[in-house]
Amino acid sequence: MTKNNQPATDGVSRRLLIKGAMGVAGAAAFGMPFIKRSSAAETTWTLANSLRSVANPYHATFAKGGENFAKSIGAKYEVLITEGNSEKGISDIKALLQRTGGKLIVNVDPNDSPDARVIVEECKKAGAYVVTQWNKPADLHPWDFNPNYVAHMSFDGVPNAKKIAEVLFKGMGGAGGVVALGGILSNVPAIERKAGLDMAIKDSGGKVELLDFQPADWDEKKAFDITQAWITRFGDKVKGVFAANDGMGMGALEALRQNNLAGKVPVVGLDGIAEAVKAIEAGEFAGTVAWDPLWTGGMGLAIPYAVATGKLDIAKEGKEHREFYGTGIIVTKDSVADFKNNPSKIDFNDLFGKATGQIQYRG
Amino acid sequence: MLMAAASAGTGKLAAVWRVWAPLAVLGALCLLISVFSPNFLTVSNLLRLLNSASIPMILSVGATFVILLGSIDLSLEGIVSVSAVVVSMLVANDVTGVAIGLWAVPLAVFLGSLMGLINGVLHVWLRTPSFMTTLGVGFAGVGVATAVLQGVTVRISDQNFRAISLGRILDVPMAVWIAAVTIGIAWVIQERLRLGRWVIALGTDELTARHVGIPVERTRIIVFALAGAFYGLGGVLSAAQFGQGNALIGQGRLFTTITAVVVGGTALSGGSGSVLNTVAGVLIVVVLANGMVLMGVPPFVQQGVQGVLIITAVAMSLDRSRLDVVK
Repeated sequence: MTKNNQPATDGVSRRLLIKGAMGVAGAAAFGMPFIKRSSAAETTWTLANSLRSVANPYHATFAKGGENFAKSIGAKYEVLITEGNSEKGISDIKALLQRTGGKLIVNVDPNDSPDARVIVEECKKAGAYVVTQWNKPADLHPWDFNPNYVAHMSFDGVPNAKKIAEVLFKGMGGAGGVVALGGILSNVPAIERKAGLDMAIKDSGGKVELLDFQPADWDEKKAFDITQAWITRFGDKVKGVFAANDGMGMGALEALRQNNLAGKVPVVGLDGIAEAVKAIEAGEFAGTVAWDPLWTGGMGLAIPYAVATGKLDIAKEGKEHREFYGTGIIVTKDSVADFKNNPSKIDFNDLFGKATGQIQYRG
Repeated sequence: MLMAAASAGTGKLAAVWRVWAPLAVLGALCLLISVFSPNFLTVSNLLRLLNSASIPMILSVGATFVILLGSIDLSLEGIVSVSAVVVSMLVANDVTGVAIGLWAVPLAVFLGSLMGLINGVLHVWLRTPSFMTTLGVGFAGVGVATAVLQGVTVRISDQNFRAISLGRILDVPMAVWIAAVTIGIAWVIQERLRLGRWVIALGTDELTARHVGIPVERTRIIVFALAGAFYGLGGVLSAAQFGQGNALIGQGRLFTTITAVVVGGTALSGGSGSVLNTVAGVLIVVVLANGMVLMGVPPFVQQGVQGVLIITAVAMSLDRSRLDVVK
């Protein structure tokens, strides 16, 4: 070893040791989930719900619904969270398809409609079974992807939003200025619910005025900031707040509270989350529409599971069982006690009992 | 030539202008907005304005000390996050069974100052630039807050705690009183304590300060910890205002805070500026935002206007006569 070589070799070996240690630590960190997985008992199929964020109470219940079904059959269950990022949503599903070798049943609420096509095609390639919720392109149909794309579930936003907007107008005394918070502009439910609101406003014959409409992207904090700005801008002219989902409605409610307006300016939302029901009882919300995310979270796995285990031949089912609506329940101050005392019963053997009709495409 | 002389600020007039520029801008803004929107100068709007200025005020005042040192603090979003999440989990809420009431407030502020202390210690001992240290601590903070919550949002049900933001004394929101007291404390630190003098000295010329006998390392660490305490208080107020603990509650605060400090006339290079400058700066930023909303300016345009504001404000109030090199 020459004098020149010696320090270099010493340096390399120390650096190499550190690099090696980091590599092992990194591999261990990545490998941990795999280690845990192989030691747990599992059946052939893995179940997964993909949703935007558990910070959103509707999605938190949706995730729970899936967990309930998975527990009832003793299967492995995962929650995939997109955090509003379409790429993450798709790549998480792809990764899970790889990990499970295609033995995956996924119930996905896509971050945005175009994602649905990619997810369905990936699942078909891998031989997995998928159900989509709420968002999908109008030209993507389950019957074109038999048997892997089992079904698409949704709730008709237009008539439900119209009904709940009318509840709001009634709470306002029939006239006045309304501000409206919308969901992510390209999401199907956001478009439907805005259309429903517009119809209700038109039907009011000019008595109710839409002061402003802003998308708050289903996000509570954004709704808070936007509503604060509205109170600054319109002051007393705001007589009611329409929120396309309860999460945004809660954000708007907090902004009203900051200005001593909670309970004085009615708010309506959709989703039927527990906080909204509490707010209806407290007189701060005028109403909400309950979709029963426990049902969509669980049934969205139960139906493809029946297909995967051969109990149901999906290709033989009619189109009203491939793309269908569930029933929304309007909850107001008058019906809230009834709603709370009669929680929905979910029978995982009654696959299509709560389906109310085929999905319509409005031009 | 004239422009160069004016901006180099060699005249006495220029020096006087630099001191009063922030207040002049604030006054001009208020006048302009009240012309366009008669709702601006109403008591209810001004109270609402002060209410929305409270949290940025507390954060900016804390950041001022760091910026006076010549350093920068990018960790405030992370510290606000951690503090808000911790305080929301310690008062009555729907996730943890813990409910220690208002004792959670000093705990969260202490936690904030602890994170600031980590900032200071890492910056001084590892001799890493404050930019990188605070960026790292900030990210780590948001990460820890997210990991602790696992995506869940904690809803606060403790009404005493919510009163920190929702309560009113003499019909002025509680948050405004808290911000006012905080400004008072910061002013006392700056004007009446040795620490305040040392901060300015360090920001002006660190080498000379060291030779004079000022404990440079200790001062730096204390300042970062102090700033952390202010951010912790900001986090507590955020949680009280929003009624939730959420890892992303601090998002967007950093830009507004630094903007406010700079617009107020405190130089980013350190040594020049004061807490009162920052107060003016925060009011300018908030009044502008409030005015744009009143005039119905679309949200994306508002961001552009804020950007133009920073550039204009820095150009007007920076003392370029002392800067040989502009980096």
